[in-house]
Amino acid sequence: MKGIFSVLVENKDGVLSQISGLFARRGFNIDSLAVGETDKHDVSSMTIVSTGDQRTIDQIEKHLNKKLDVIKVRRLDETKSITLEMMLIKVSCNLNNRAQLIELCSCMGAKMMHVSAKNMTIELHAAPDVIEEFIELVRSFGILELQRTGTIAMLKG
Amino acid sequence: MNAAEAIVRCLEEEGITKIFGIPGVAIAPFYEALYHSETIEQVLMRQEQNAGHAASGYARISRRPAVCVTSSGPGATNLITALATAYADSIPIIAITGQVESHLLGRDVFQEADMRGATESFVKYSYLVQNADDIPRIMKEAFYIASTGRKGPVLIDIPADVQRAQLKKPFTYPSEVSIRGYKPNTRGNGQQMAKVVEAINHSKKPLIVAGGGVILGNGEKLVTAFCEKNQIPLVTTMMGVGVAAKSNPLYFGMLGNNGKPYANRAVASSDLLIVVGARIADRAVPRPENLEKSVKVIHIDIDSAEIGKNLGPTLPLVGDVCEIFRELLTADVHIDTTAWLSSLEEMKHSTVDHRKFSELGVNPMLMVKTLTEKMEDDAIYVADVGQNQLWSADNYVMKQGRFLTTGGMGTMGYSIPAALGAKLCRPEAQVVAVCGDGSFQMSMNELATIAVNHVNVKVLVVKNRYLGLVREYQEKHYDSHYSGVRLHDYPKHEKIAEAYDMDYFECSDNESLPGVIDQFLASGRASLLVCNVDSANNTV
Repeated sequence: MKGIFSVLVENKDGVLSQISGLFARRGFNIDSLAVGETDKHDVSSMTIVSTGDQRTIDQIEKHLNKKLDVIKVRRLDETKSITLEMMLIKVSCNLNNRAQLIELCSCMGAKMMHVSAKNMTIELHAAPDVIEEFIELVRSFGILELQRTGTIAMLKG
Repeated sequence: MNAAEAIVRCLEEEGITKIFGIPGVAIAPFYEALYHSETIEQVLMRQEQNAGHAASGYARISRRPAVCVTSSGPGATNLITALATAYADSIPIIAITGQVESHLLGRDVFQEADMRGATESFVKYSYLVQNADDIPRIMKEAFYIASTGRKGPVLIDIPADVQRAQLKKPFTYPSEVSIRGYKPNTRGNGQQMAKVVEAINHSKKPLIVAGGGVILGNGEKLVTAFCEKNQIPLVTTMMGVGVAAKSNPLYFGMLGNNGKPYANRAVASSDLLIVVGARIADRAVPRPENLEKSVKVIHIDIDSAEIGKNLGPTLPLVGDVCEIFRELLTADVHIDTTAWLSSLEEMKHSTVDHRKFSELGVNPMLMVKTLTEKMEDDAIYVADVGQNQLWSADNYVMKQGRFLTTGGMGTMGYSIPAALGAKLCRPEAQVVAVCGDGSFQMSMNELATIAVNHVNVKVLVVKNRYLGLVREYQEKHYDSHYSGVRLHDYPKHEKIAEAYDMDYFECSDNESLPGVIDQFLASGRASLLVCNVDSANNTV
């Protein structure tokens, strides 16, 4: 199963290493990790997505809570949350198939950031599964470079 | 006032009177400040790891955090094993390590080691001090963190220039701590408490499994009072040895691989296990998944992350052992365990110990039994690691004393420095360290610390000329291919005793054992007793 954790942490040195170290040491997976400052400069927010069985996901939550620099841990239910990720992807294309790629982009709500004779750089921010879909759709063009930010998530309402 | 002086002031405020350590350039400002303290005495150890173990022994007896200090680089990295040991056993220790000058951090200069990084998985929390004015807050927090919730070691790494830096604000020691990410939960949840009482009332064969957490939480009296009030029997893990006196009719021994067979049979025949402050690690319960299927388990622990880690699903109750058992003592528990107790009693008497012991030398089981029967009622027994530890835990006669050992990390060489720390904490107590000839050699350099400080610690070496527990393992699992385990007849212990001004005793047979132990315990200064044991003797 998938576990999405929204974690508020002290914004100070060594905290990211503590959290990633915790996952490494106890053999927990990190599928994605997004970190950034919140509106309070001394608090950072981390969204950690992990997979594992029920026991593992429970243990992750408990061990996160045990860290002194962790202020709050929330486990988010995917169906009740807004999940969002951003991707930059550079796809190979030329005069012959560029139109096709542009059409795909407009279908999926992706933005063309740069176009050159041989490739196109596209930005997409969407739910993680939409990002996955888009990657599959453009794979046949040839993916030259890809960067994802990792999921950020927030409970609705 | 500079930061080093502020640290000393904070330690004084915390009531610290002894610190264990070894100085160096990177911690010199602190040692200078310590030189002027009127209430804190420094104990110069002979190796940093032992400074950590000595602090551990001291902390376990005082039941408060104890302090160890090292310099930077190798001095600090030497301490890591002791921190890992304290972490595994949840012992509150404050470790202060010197660090290279701040502007040199990260440049790999002489004796620089990244202590925060290196100890991350072995400490409850760590600080790298960057500002002298943070000292009072950090010290207050460190003592609070080490001694609350699930206890454990806290590291304070402090660059030499920060130690020398003057505080800009006047020194005040904070009276309160506020860490927003750390609010240890001590009171058990009311609903869970009700479920626990219900489960106990529905059980016919309840059994308490007490771990080291009961002792760490100072809960021995309340847990045994609960057992007595409701006539619920009790077994312990190795770290829980000492929760109940051996004479207590409700106590059915230590469980596990090396425990009493009837304690394990009690676990197997129970219908409700009440696990208190125990990790349920592999040596205590080799296959917890089998246990889960056959018996209902209540798991009481201060650390919610212990719930479901090795054992699950259970009925969890998170909180402080004292608060929980104080409440359980007033709860409406009404069960009749007469039949269950008599079946356990029968189990205990019908269990035959099939272990055979060599006719040669001293019988190690008899040795531990005789020694602990002769020791004073409130004496402290420190067991090292190896066969000696297992014979000790199995045969220790608990009266009102303490049994200290490292059950989590299993660090050889623990007993001598821990006994030193324990004795310095309670100078009036009789303190005996029991080790093997392997573990003895891992910390025998501390006999100098014992001699210099005139500490009357008794050291008993169970000498079988082997790393006995590994030898035993090789005998069982590797066709007796004894690889790298033979210690031969070194050192000559009588010469070691002489070198460190200790009284020396030796025993090679069961007949003279009681007399020799009497002399060994009666000796007015630190003494060394070597019991020659046949290497053919095994623990299982």
